Amino acid sequence: MTNPFRHASTFLLAALTTAWIAGAFLALVCAGLVYQRITASSNDPWKSPQLLELKAQLQDAPRDEGIKSRIRDLDLKFRQRYVRRLVMGRSGGWLLLGGSIVFIAALWTVAEARRRPPLPQPDHDAGARALRHAAASRRAVGVTAGALGIGLVAIAFGLHSALDDPALAPMTAAAGVTTAPRAGPPLPPHSEFLANWPRFRGPLGGGAASSGEAPLKWDGKTGTGIVWKAPVPAPGFNSPIVWGERVFISGATAEKREIFCYDAATGQLRWQRAIEKVPGSPAESPPISEETGYAAPTMATDGRHAYAIFAHGDLAAVTFDGDVAWSKHLGVPHNPYGHATSLAIWDGKLLVQLDQGEGRPHNSRLIAIDGGTGRVLWEKPRSMASSWATPIVIETAGSPQIVTLGVPFVIGYALADGRELWRAERLDGEITPSPIFAGGRLLVIHPDNKMMAFKPEGTGDITESPLDWKAEDNIPDITSPVSNGELVFTVTSRGIVTCFDLADGKTLWEKDLQTEAHPSPVIAGNRLYVTCTNGTTIVAAAGREYQELARNELGEKVFASAAIVRGRMYVRGLKNLYCLGPATKPASP
Amino acid sequence: MKRWGGFAFATSGALWLLALLFAFVSPLPAAEQRFPPPEFETGHKLPITTTPGPRALAREFLDAGVLLAALGIATWLVYRRRSRRGLMALSIASVAYFGFYRQGCICAIGAVQNVALGICDPSYAIPLTVLVFFFAPLVFALFAGRVFCAGVCPHGALQDLVLIKPLKVPGWLEHGLGLIPFVFLGAGVAFAATGSAFVICRYDPFVPLFRLTGSVSLLTLGAAFIVTGMFVGRPYCRFLCPYGALLRLGSLVSKWRVRVTPDFCTQCRLCEHSCPYGAMREPVVAAAQPEPPARQRRRLAWLLVALPLLITAGALGGARLAPAAARLHPTVALVEQHLRQQKAPVTHPPMTPEALSLERAANDPDPLIASARKIRERVTLACWLFGGWVGLVIGIKLIALSLRPARTDYEPDRGACVACARCFEYCPNELVRRGIAPAGPLKTAAPELVALVEQRR
Repeated sequence: MTNPFRHASTFLLAALTTAWIAGAFLALVCAGLVYQRITASSNDPWKSPQLLELKAQLQDAPRDEGIKSRIRDLDLKFRQRYVRRLVMGRSGGWLLLGGSIVFIAALWTVAEARRRPPLPQPDHDAGARALRHAAASRRAVGVTAGALGIGLVAIAFGLHSALDDPALAPMTAAAGVTTAPRAGPPLPPHSEFLANWPRFRGPLGGGAASSGEAPLKWDGKTGTGIVWKAPVPAPGFNSPIVWGERVFISGATAEKREIFCYDAATGQLRWQRAIEKVPGSPAESPPISEETGYAAPTMATDGRHAYAIFAHGDLAAVTFDGDVAWSKHLGVPHNPYGHATSLAIWDGKLLVQLDQGEGRPHNSRLIAIDGGTGRVLWEKPRSMASSWATPIVIETAGSPQIVTLGVPFVIGYALADGRELWRAERLDGEITPSPIFAGGRLLVIHPDNKMMAFKPEGTGDITESPLDWKAEDNIPDITSPVSNGELVFTVTSRGIVTCFDLADGKTLWEKDLQTEAHPSPVIAGNRLYVTCTNGTTIVAAAGREYQELARNELGEKVFASAAIVRGRMYVRGLKNLYCLGPATKPASP
Repeated sequence: MKRWGGFAFATSGALWLLALLFAFVSPLPAAEQRFPPPEFETGHKLPITTTPGPRALAREFLDAGVLLAALGIATWLVYRRRSRRGLMALSIASVAYFGFYRQGCICAIGAVQNVALGICDPSYAIPLTVLVFFFAPLVFALFAGRVFCAGVCPHGALQDLVLIKPLKVPGWLEHGLGLIPFVFLGAGVAFAATGSAFVICRYDPFVPLFRLTGSVSLLTLGAAFIVTGMFVGRPYCRFLCPYGALLRLGSLVSKWRVRVTPDFCTQCRLCEHSCPYGAMREPVVAAAQPEPPARQRRRLAWLLVALPLLITAGALGGARLAPAAARLHPTVALVEQHLRQQKAPVTHPPMTPEALSLERAANDPDPLIASARKIRERVTLACWLFGGWVGLVIGIKLIALSLRPARTDYEPDRGACVACARCFEYCPNELVRRGIAPAGPLKTAAPELVALVEQRR
């Protein structure tokens, strides 16, 4: 073969120089592109610490136009950089391509110029070499096969599927192999829901009994007025809920979580069910304040299942016969005192408000779950830190909405899809008292500061909408208010009972009980029941003037709020569960 | 040579390490460049998201037409013109059209997966162009060998063009690594047939180069292949390309085959080292101390017995891969993530693609889990078959290496030859044919060769 460049040393030198220059150019462009890639992540709106910090600030001050403006500026800057990066990347790509062509062509020229034609020599070893080659090839195939085998075995045994995880077996087994959605048991009529005490502070969450009857007098020492008394096997500050012939409470320690079902007529413990092996539940219990305990949230029921949530983040549904229908772990709530927000329920939808985090929100969310199946219907993130108030469901203009409290917002969500309807910036402090809905007004409490009444109307930010009234006398910090539709009653934890006019918020009377009161008050008919922590319950007339009708001693400390159903009152003491009322069996719903 | 080898090893090694590193560091490039929607009212109206429409039918036909024309030209260049320059020109044209203009898609390599999915999923309609891209090179291979690889496939053409200083890969290593394309072919078909993923396309190292964009890991991988390809001829085609494995099988039975010499082989051995792809096979000569035939027969018998055992072991082992393999399917991957979330919740920023996917999964997990289980069953069957295929490939390869070939001339290996036409120029008879060298007695420094040639003449 002829080699046209053999003697063209100048040409060869030029080709070599071109190759070097092109190589240096390629290295430079590559370095530029790599630098651009490395800096790209800091300009990523998902990851930029600067932008995330500003967004966190905006959550605390959502109407701060300055922060919004800075976010907009930064966002615009990121987008401009992104577009610039795209353009530079594209240009860099073409530069690399062009440089590579020159580089390869120059090197190819050099290689061709230096290529020497073959000069074969006698090969007497060809036969033996062929044999050695065949043997070596077989060994190489064996080695490759072995390496492949080891690699595949490593993959097979190194990667585990969650579908095979024994801890998740209940969840995956429940899915079965059919794609047909599971249907839960039928939902009892709404009238039945309203006739019972299916959640914290009654069906509407306002603390008012649907029936006007309730016991007036009882005595824990003599047993007068006490229908039954049953020991509670596990600690918990949650309040009893009642559906038909069943009373439910939950209890938990660091080691064990349980649900207890009592016979409403006899007090006999029908069953107790341990909630265990919940997929994802932590092996070790998180540290929880003793004042809150592991079972502070009150249960809920829709007549199909009874639902309980614990401080560990375990949520479970049990049938009325005590079988676990479904359970799930929602993550350990990061709550400084422990999770205490009770479950809310409406129309078969179980509502879990998981506000968490100290100072800053930490994965706070509101979750709606189909009670029948455990299926998450929707989940909405909340830009709020920990709170302890329980949401309520109110019906306005025919469509139910969920009202939640959490610093600094009162927020209304559509029950159907979790869409935020409105929000008002009205709260501060440690939000524990739950809201109530009375006389078309929402009553919310800024603890130890003020009680506000306003109509849940409008859309978007309704902070500037005028309040109907606000009251600042004897505002509770723990307990929730109660109303009979005309008056509003509050009890501070120091034991001061105050009556306000629902129409204008004026204080009508106040009474200092001179003892601590942690349970929230309840109303049945024209009677107001204020239970103190020492077990004393003052029955007062729910009127414009203070009138004490009775003072009853239970003889046991009480932290939970009472439930009133069909003339009987159910009170959870520290050690026992009580049914108060007439000895005769009340009529079934 | 040593200097070249050292440079090749250093640069290629560094790039391969980088590619591996990036594969672990940035495995998910998809959401990297996505912008979140505005989080508060700005008055700005978001534009409606649009997706590019399908390629016009006429253009699809144009692609198929260009492919068929290129295959025809390649066949003509290899068998009639025996022109290396012509093939280089065709390679440049293919890289320009199928590579940079069509951005590496559609390509015959990926079409394997479309066909596999189309066979196993009746609801998937294979586009006509894809069928043409899959079958045309195969049909040409049955007649003319790997002319598709010669200068039509943009992947092969690109590697062919960048080859500057080919270093010889030892034959035994060539055989060992030669298993990988068949394994990759099996994996690609298995994943595609189950609807899990088109892994051949997903890990294609050249498409990001043609598109001048892509994930850092794949771009680095592409660069690693290019730099390696400057010193090792067509590393992707020889040691990875799954379609090349299919073409290799087709070429074994091709009607015509590439011949180094246009006339007869003079056994001058000038072409011995001409093939940068290790496809040149020497004539078989008797060894001074040949292996006893009984030993050869015994080995062959053992391998024939071992073949079904290898297939069975492969199938059994393959089934164990199913849980891991199924995770490539997006539904199974989502379910896995959802279930792990139940066990150990991980907080994702709200409205991120991860958070939205998990939210959808959590909303109705049961049908999703049931669907994942069904997919797992399909993947398990595919893994059985894949394992059996791997066992078969290993067994056949070992058997083939135990057979004694009968070769009297220097000739390209039918399966390995990519018909690049490099070896033609090394043949004195070819030079005579072209009129470059005068016809007459062969002048060489080896008298033995002269005698041998004269004897053959």
